[in-house]
Parts: sequence; structure tokens; C-alpha cells
Amino acid sequence: MAAEGRIVWISGPAVKADGMSEAKMYETVTVGNDKLVGEVIRLTGDVAFIQVYESTAGLKPGEPVVGTGNPLSVLLGPGIIGQIYDGIQRPLKELSKASGSYIGRGITTTPVDMAKKYHFVPTVSNGDEVSAGSVLGTVQESELIENSIMVPPDHKGGKITKIVSEGDYDLETEVATTEKDGQSIPLKMYHKWPVRKPRPFLKRYDPTVPLLTGQRVIDTFFPIAKGGTGSIPGAFGTGKTVTLHQIAKWADSQVVVYIGCGERGNEMTEVLVEFPHLKDPRSGKPLMDRTVLVANTSNMPVAAREASIYTGVTIAEYYRDMGKDVVLVADSTSRWAESLREMSGRLEEMPAEEGYPSYLASRLAEFYERAGRVRASGSPDRDGSVTLVGAVSPSGGDFTEPVTTHTMRFIKTFWALDAKLAYSRHYPSINWMNSYSGYLADIAKWWGENISDDWLSLRSDAYGVLQREDTLKEIVRLLGPEALPDEEKLILEVARMVKIGLLQQNSFDDVDTYCSPEKQYKLLKLLVDFYKRGQQSLKEGAALADIRAMSVVGSMLKARMDVKDDEMAKLDQLDVDMQEQFKSITGVKVRN
Amino acid sequence: MSAEGGVQYSKIAEIKGPLVVVDDVSNAAFDELVEIETKEGERRLGKVLEVGNGKAIVQVFEGTTGLSISGTKAKFVGKLMEMPVSKEVLGRVFDGLGRPKDGLPDPIADKFIDINGEPMNPEQREYPKDFIQTGISVIDGMITLVRGQKLPIFSGSGMSHNLVAAQIARQASVVGTQDDFAVVFAAIGVQYSEAEYFRRSLEESGALKRSVLFLNTADDPAIERIITPRVALTVAEYLAFELGMHVLVILTDMTNYAEALREISAAREEVPGRKGYPGYLYTDLSTIYERAGKLNGRKGSVTQVPILSMPSDDITHPIPDLTGYITEGQVVLGRDLFRQGVYPPVNILMSLSRLMKDGIGEGSTRADHGEISNQVYDAYSRAQEVRALAGIVGKAGLTEIDLKYMDVGDVFEKEFLTQATDENRTIEETLTILWKIVSKLPKNEITKIKDKFIDQYYQEK
Amino acid sequence: MVSNSSLEQAIDKILEKTEKEILSDLENSASTSKKTLDDSLPILEQEYDQIISNGKKEADKIEKQITGSSDLEARNKQLTTVEESIDKVFTKALDEIANTDRSGDYSNLIKSLLEESTKTLGTTDVIVFTNSKDRDTVQSALSQYSGAELSSETIECLGGVKVKSKDGAMTFDNTLDAKIERLKPLIRKDIATQFGVSN
Repeated sequence: MAAEGRIVWISGPAVKADGMSEAKMYETVTVGNDKLVGEVIRLTGDVAFIQVYESTAGLKPGEPVVGTGNPLSVLLGPGIIGQIYDGIQRPLKELSKASGSYIGRGITTTPVDMAKKYHFVPTVSNGDEVSAGSVLGTVQESELIENSIMVPPDHKGGKITKIVSEGDYDLETEVATTEKDGQSIPLKMYHKWPVRKPRPFLKRYDPTVPLLTGQRVIDTFFPIAKGGTGSIPGAFGTGKTVTLHQIAKWADSQVVVYIGCGERGNEMTEVLVEFPHLKDPRSGKPLMDRTVLVANTSNMPVAAREASIYTGVTIAEYYRDMGKDVVLVADSTSRWAESLREMSGRLEEMPAEEGYPSYLASRLAEFYERAGRVRASGSPDRDGSVTLVGAVSPSGGDFTEPVTTHTMRFIKTFWALDAKLAYSRHYPSINWMNSYSGYLADIAKWWGENISDDWLSLRSDAYGVLQREDTLKEIVRLLGPEALPDEEKLILEVARMVKIGLLQQNSFDDVDTYCSPEKQYKLLKLLVDFYKRGQQSLKEGAALADIRAMSVVGSMLKARMDVKDDEMAKLDQLDVDMQEQFKSITGVKVRN
Repeated sequence: MSAEGGVQYSKIAEIKGPLVVVDDVSNAAFDELVEIETKEGERRLGKVLEVGNGKAIVQVFEGTTGLSISGTKAKFVGKLMEMPVSKEVLGRVFDGLGRPKDGLPDPIADKFIDINGEPMNPEQREYPKDFIQTGISVIDGMITLVRGQKLPIFSGSGMSHNLVAAQIARQASVVGTQDDFAVVFAAIGVQYSEAEYFRRSLEESGALKRSVLFLNTADDPAIERIITPRVALTVAEYLAFELGMHVLVILTDMTNYAEALREISAAREEVPGRKGYPGYLYTDLSTIYERAGKLNGRKGSVTQVPILSMPSDDITHPIPDLTGYITEGQVVLGRDLFRQGVYPPVNILMSLSRLMKDGIGEGSTRADHGEISNQVYDAYSRAQEVRALAGIVGKAGLTEIDLKYMDVGDVFEKEFLTQATDENRTIEETLTILWKIVSKLPKNEITKIKDKFIDQYYQEK
Repeated sequence: MVSNSSLEQAIDKILEKTEKEILSDLENSASTSKKTLDDSLPILEQEYDQIISNGKKEADKIEKQITGSSDLEARNKQLTTVEESIDKVFTKALDEIANTDRSGDYSNLIKSLLEESTKTLGTTDVIVFTNSKDRDTVQSALSQYSGAELSSETIECLGGVKVKSKDGAMTFDNTLDAKIERLKPLIRKDIATQFGVSN
């Protein structure tokens, strides 16, 4: 029996209702005469504490609260790709049909078009044994995405007693029936899944394949693996959003889930406007054909912000279970943590650091634990991954605040954005001294097999230069650059070249915005070669000023913008030019 | 608006800070407008912050000074707070709650609109990309403003933020197309003289008849400041999205707004976040700043230039910090430049316009705009490093190239940044000076500009 | 005299030379000054233009200011005039209401006002206030509400009732004055539209 109670108290998004002894924890309820959507988050006697996902202005004590009997769930089926949802999977396009330019209240819609017909190709036949997660057939969801219709994860399995033949069906059609212990269960192309419960899988793999983002400082210096976790903390203005957009655009995954969690409205609009026109560098198809947006902007109800993270990650797991690589980008987990803090405050819970609830760390851990490269349940064998990338917006840019420090415990790649770099327009402003990647050793094998054996050692050489520069900078700050011997001045020069020619990347430049792994490798090699060759010529008596004045220096610094991905020969030519110019400044005597 | 009146309750349980707690309330809604009547018959406005179990907590905008437990009555009006709007609000002056302050009658309303607004559906937003020429070089060239953007000015006490904002309001409204424009100005707890400076500035440019002023000055009730930006934005949205105007909204000073919010939070004994500001400051500020924008299928736009003074010039203070996370960039004024007498004293390295990339380039400003501004940012930042170095090792310790960067810094500040308050530069003039700065450097130092632009614009000696 | 003449010659020569020099100097200076003059003409013109344009700017500014202000003044005068007319209409309407016949329809109105008030307060245990003119009408309508009493005090109003719960905690003002006050913004718009001042 569904609970039916009355509102007794209202404060912002928090509502108390009595007469709710039938209600269950995390059950969704409708609140008030306008039937706003809410979720039960605490039960005391017959009083339920409810967080309401819509604005409560105008709500009065005495209005009804009715339980739905179900936990907060998402609908999983074809039609999700290309959508923009609010925090509780209501499609914003449908909302605008009901309430125009602004977000109205109490509107009910379905997350996907239930009447749309998809061409279903069955992959099982009558009599086949299936279990939870098994694929029944496929439909083409978008140009890029083939959707596998699966037996729901909480299904007990059984024998197929009915399967429709290939043809066009809508979502409500019963495409298959299973039977077990004399009980038959009809299956449709969609199912529902509670957002707070991770979807099950068979087993977890170590992440060993890099997620290539086309961003040099990430792929070359601080890589993330498919199924891994990463975090981007940074003060405002450090380019967090641009970096996240770059990952969403260029990552070599099949599906991207982008969660705008308490951020700017225009940023979601930007994705909506831009992605349909951008082409996936691998398939040539519009990026929107692989993207799902969950938008709960800062001024939208704060409780739905809390839910949006779970909505997004559940959708990501759904596509992972089809055997796809999925990247989930959450901007920003700090705003999500703030929504926890706000609800916790209204519940009058005992606060921990900076007013955040004591369960902040465990909630963050639970979220990041949903990343992974896995073997999906059921047949046939499918391997998929969910990579989680969360932005953190530390107040005042202070990385010792609770959300940043707790996040660091649960992630393996840390891209620390630096306001100083941003102020000098070094973008992406990922600080190379404070960032780290725990996947470097795991994915080096991939680079060795696919690009070149010496990748890891070149990377160490380049990183070594940056580290040397960091210590030398202190001396320069005190004594000026002229106090250094030429050999160390060369390090400063090469570090400058690595920063401009490799680390910096202009996301608004048509060529530079995406850099293939081959190009990344060649640029890296060019710079390391330059360093080694430079050291050698200094020993042979060349003047540092001559090295600096070499015309190849300018070309190397601009190569990231000037050389397209299909023009790798130009980089080889640069290497030849460089050797030539070194020869000319060191005179005839060149040792081999 | 309905003619249903509200019930007046006379059982006051508690008065603390700006809050009045009313007992035995059976029929009040969350966020409802409340009319408080004092013993002497004076009327004040407030709204419901919390209701339930027979109690309502009411926040009184005009403060609780002079209220007593007995004799004070609270009438729950039966509606949310609304602002009457019509085209005739243009040229009018209102107080911080939206009531006439110019001796003229209440506007004859075309509509009554809930001052809280509703969140724009991101799917229905139109991405802002129309360049606004402000005539101020540093803004047009380096921190470009576009229609529908929210770009705050981060300032400090005593600096020239009002001059900058007034110059933007005057010049941005004059240039450009035949489109209808309007200026909405909200003074939030600022001195009377600052508000008056603004009014006169609009009057002198003839823009007063296209302006709406909301004035809550320093001596007006502090809690009223919670409402002032909201009534101002309600009018702005009406002018923009119902009447199709391009509206520039100036909110000054948002620091006073945040302080009023802190006062209420403290009175409610809420668990504070940083520096005593409530944990929901970010969300609350976003319900103001996110009201900037453009909408699909509507002609107008709301552009916001909020001004906030950073306490002790500290950009990591919660107010500028949280603002920066919401707004689309920031214009930061620098104390050093201000002390040197530079106007406008904009610290470009800390400043940023997030929407610049879409508002500039071929078709709107010029194809080389993005790259030249990147190069100047880079060069000016190098110049600052060199200056710092010169302070330690002296000019003699600098290389030849370092000295060129010193030059860049000087030309940038003296010729590009510095400009008169009535000097209105075209974007072409602005770009020409930018090239003059970059041309102080040898070509091989120019790493952010494509060769074709260098060939076209580099000024050889 | 030879010496004299030679001296004269010398002097003549010098004079001639000087004359030449002077002449050439003069010529030079003439041409220079002409050049200077020529050169300065455009500068002068520029300056002149500058003065004119500055003046024009100033004049534009003043013109804008004047037209801006006078437009605004005219508009504001109109607003005031409209408001005066609205006030007149209001006063007249209020007069009419105050003097309406207190029988028939009016007693129905009182009944509905009482009904609305007790419903809103959620109790009929109330004290009812009204003006002296309406006392009889109210008294006769009150019989339907158990616990409701008519106060001996009268209040000043156009008509209608003010209802207070007996414990004094709640009051609901349902006088015609209060009703008109609440409707005033809408009525003002109606009147203004009839005057042809639409938005």
C-alpha cells in the first residue's frame, strides 16, 4: 500500500510529512497539490523527511504527500543518446513543450519516446537459456550507437519461450518472454533501474588501456585508463570546464555522459549547440550521436542536483553493460557535495568539516567505485568500461578543503589546475609538478605496442627537464638567468619549448584542439632530441645564443598548430632540419 | 493577482534579528509575501522562510526595529512577492523593494511577475555570441563582453569600478544597431553619491529615459537588499523577453547583498560555511546571476555587469570566489594600477571573459582578434615576470629580449589600458594598438599567431 | 681717392653680397614661412575641426540630455495626469458604493463576505465588526453562524465586514475597502486602458 500523508513543515527543498508510516527509505513520492517529485531521505515515527526535486515556493502545510512505492529510478532503453535530461531524467526538450522557456513544476514526461519504433534484430531463439544481463537482440539507437537489448540485471533468468522476429517495434512491445519454474515474464526493450544501486557485472579487470583524449598534457604526461578515475580540481577561471569539454569531445570512448551538476546554464547550451556540428575524429559522425547530457544547473532545484550524479552514472553503466567504453564527466562534484551539505543542514545533522556531513567521504567513495573495466553479466561475453572524471571546485582554490582531500583518496589521476598558469594563459593550466597519474605503468605497454617502444623513456626525459627547471627557477628568481651556466640555461630553454610546444594546447584552434597519439609521440621525440642534441653541441663549443637563434625553434613551437594529423612527414622533416642546423652551428667537427 | 486577502495573525512568538516568528498559523505557504503591521499602524513587508507545525518564520525586509511581541500583526497575503511591470517603468526610479521613489504613481501594470523568476531551461537558451562594443580597449580587446553574458567587475574599496560600469553603460548603449536597448541599475547598499553619479551619467548621455533605477542606498534597510537585485532582474527579463530589448543590468555592490544574506542565516542559527556565510551562498547567488542570457525565439537579451568589492582585495574571499564560479568570467581591478593613476585599472592577467571566443573573430570583430589577444596576454605576463626579476637583479641583469618585454609592459599600460572616461575607441583602433604592442617583440617570440596574420599586421620598425 | 673708390667698391661689394644674402635670406624666410603657413594650414584646419567637433560633441551631449529629460518630463506629466483621472474615477466609484441601497442584493453580498471570512479563518467562533449603516444587515445574516457575534463597536468603512477570532489571534479584513484596495492595481489598469493609455 502506498503511503499517503500530509505536509506538516516546509523549508526550502526540505519537507516533512506525517501519516507516512508506510513509506520506505529512498522511495519517490509526489508532494503537494502540484504533484512535485520528491524522495524520502529519513523516517522518524510516521514523519517522513522528503527532499523535493522541484521548487517548493507556494507549498502549504496540509497538502497531500503520496508514495509511489518505487525508489528513484531511471528508464534504460534506446532513445537516451542525444538527450538532455534534468537531474531526475526528465527530458528538457519535453519540459519546454509543457512550460516554455523556463522550467515549470509538476510536469510528468517519459525519459524517451515510448512510441518511437526501432528496428530490432533478435540474437536469441526460442528455447535458449538466458540469464540476467544476456543480450536478446540489437537496435540501431543512433548513427554511432548500436544498442543491445538486455535481460534486466535483477531478472532471475530462464528459457526463452517467445522472441519476436526481426522488425520495427516500439518500446512497449513485448519482444521476448522467459520462463522459469512455471512462471513466465514478458520483456520489453527497456527496463528501469534504481539510481543509487550499482548495476551488477561478472568481474572487474585492471585498467591497462589508455583513454586517449587528444590532449597532450593528459595523454603524454598524466594519462587516465579506460575504467579509471580522475579528478580535475581548480579555482574558477583555470579552465576546468574547457578541459572537461575537450575530454567529452575527443575521448576515444563510444559513449559520453556529461553531467552539468550545479554549473552554468550556458555551458550546457554550448555543448548542445556545438556537439552536433563536431565530428568524432574516428568515425566522422556528429559527436552528439554518442553523447547524453544531464543538466542540473546551479539555479535549478538543489535536491535534483544531488540525484543528477546517480542518474548519470546509472546511464553510463547501462551502456557499459552492452560492452561499450563510456566516459562520464561530472562538473562539478563540489556542487554535488554542497547539495548534500544543504540537505544535511536542513535535517539538522551533526556537521563535520566546513559544515559537510560526515558521510561525504563515503558517498564520494561509492560514486568513484562505480568506475571500472568489467566483463558484463549474461551472454554473449562483453567487456565494457566506465571512466569517471570529476571536476572539483575548491573554495578559494584551496586544495586542502574537504571535497578535494576526500576525492584524492578515491581517484588515481589528479590533474591539478593552477591559477598562476591560467593567469599567464598557459592552457590547459594543468600543473605538471602537482599532478599525477597512477596508471602510467599500466598503460605504458599499450604505447609500446601501438606507438613506439621508447615512449616511456622519452616521457621521463621530458618530465625530467621540467623537474630540473622547477628547481632552477628558484635560483633564477634570486640571481637572474645570467647566473646560470649555459648547460642549465639550455634546460630553461628546453623547458620553455616543452611548455609552449607540447603542454600548451589551444582548444579553439582547429588543428591543435585534438592531437593524435602519433603526433604526440613525434612532438615529444622532437623536443627530447633537441635537448640531447643541444647538450652535445654545447659540449662541442656551440654558443647557446646560436642554439636559441636556430630557425627550427620557432617551427617546433608552432608545429602543434601548423602540422595536421595526416601530415606526419612534416614533423620528420623538422627533425632533419634540426639536425642540419645543429651541425651548422657546431661547425664541421661533429662526432657520431 | 487575486482579490483574496490573507488572514492577519497577532500571536508573535519571537522576534530575533530580521526574523519574526508567528504562532498558531494555519494557512501560510512557503515563500509567501507577508505584511507586518506595527502597533502604530506602520506597514512593512516580509516573506515566509519556513512554515509548519503551526509556526511561520518571517523575514522582514525593512528590519524589525520598533516591533514588539504584543501589538504586531502579520498578514499572509496569499501570493508570492510580485513586481508590477509595464513599458512605463522605463525612466522611473524605485526603492529597493520596487516601490516608486520618484514621487510618481505606481506603474500601471501590464503584468505582475514573481520576483524570484524561474530557472531558464538550458535547452531553451540561445548561446550568447553577439559582440558588444564598449569602447573600452581593455574590455573589447582582451575581455570581450557579449550580449547575454554575466561579467562581474571585481573591485576593492575606493577603486574606480563605478566609472568603468558607467562608461560601459553609456558607450555600449550608444553604438551598434537600431535594436532597442535599456539599462537597469540596482544600487544595493551603496552610498547615495555613487547611485547619483550613475543617474547623472545616464542623464548626460540621454539614456535616462531608457533606464530603470532601483535604489537601496547605505542608509536603507539591509534586509531589503535580498530583494533589490531580484526586482531589478524581474524588470530586466520583462523588458528583454517580452518587449525584445537588449538590457544591460548593473548590480552594485553584491558584497552588500551577501552580507544581508549572512545576517539572516545567522539569525536562523544555521550551520555556517566559510567566513560565516551560509552553505547555500553559491546556490543563492546563482539564482541571481543565472538570470542573464538569451532565449530561443525571443529577440532581447539580459546582460549582467555585477560589481562587487572584494573584502581586503582578497579574490579568494567567498563572495568573489563563488561569484567567479557562476559568472562567465570576471574583470578584476588592480590596486597597483589604481595607485599609479591608471584608468581603467584592469588587471588583465586575473581577468577573463569565457564567452569571448564566440563573440570575436571573422564576421564579428576581426579574424586575428583571438590570436593577437592571446599573444598580448602571454607577452604582458612575461613582462610582469621580467619586472619582478628586474626588481632583484636590476636592469643590467636582464637579457636583450627581457628588455623588449619590459617595453611591452609599458606600452600596454600607457597606450592600451589607459584611456579617458569619455574616450570611445572602435574595435579597429583597439586591435591596432594591440599589434603595436606585439610589434615591440621580434617575430620569433610570436608563438601564438599564425604567420599570415603576422605578415598582414606586424608593424616593422 | 683711389683708395676711396676701392674702399667704396669693397663696400659696395660687401653691401651687394649682404644684400644678396639678405635677399636670399628673405626669400628663404618667405618660402619657409610660406611653407610653415602651408604646413600649418592642415593643422589649423584640424584644430578648427577639433574645436568644432568638440563643440558638436558637447552640443550633442547637451541636446541628448535636453531631449532625454524633456521626453521624460512630458511622459511623467502624462503619468501624473492619468493618475489624477484614475483618482477621480475612484472617488466617484467609492461614493456610489457608500451610498448604495442596503437591501436585496447587498444583503446577499454581506452573506457571501461572511461565508468567505469564516471559511478562511476556519472557525465560526468569531466577532464581526462593521459600520453603522450595515449593522442591521450583518446582524440578520449572522444567525446562520453559531458562535458568531456582532461587536458593539463600529468601524469606519464603506461596507462589508471585518472578522476576528474570539481568542483575538486571527483577523480577516473583508470590508469593501480592503477588497477594493486589493483590486486597485487591476482597476487602475482598466481605467487607464479606457483613457487610451495602454502599454
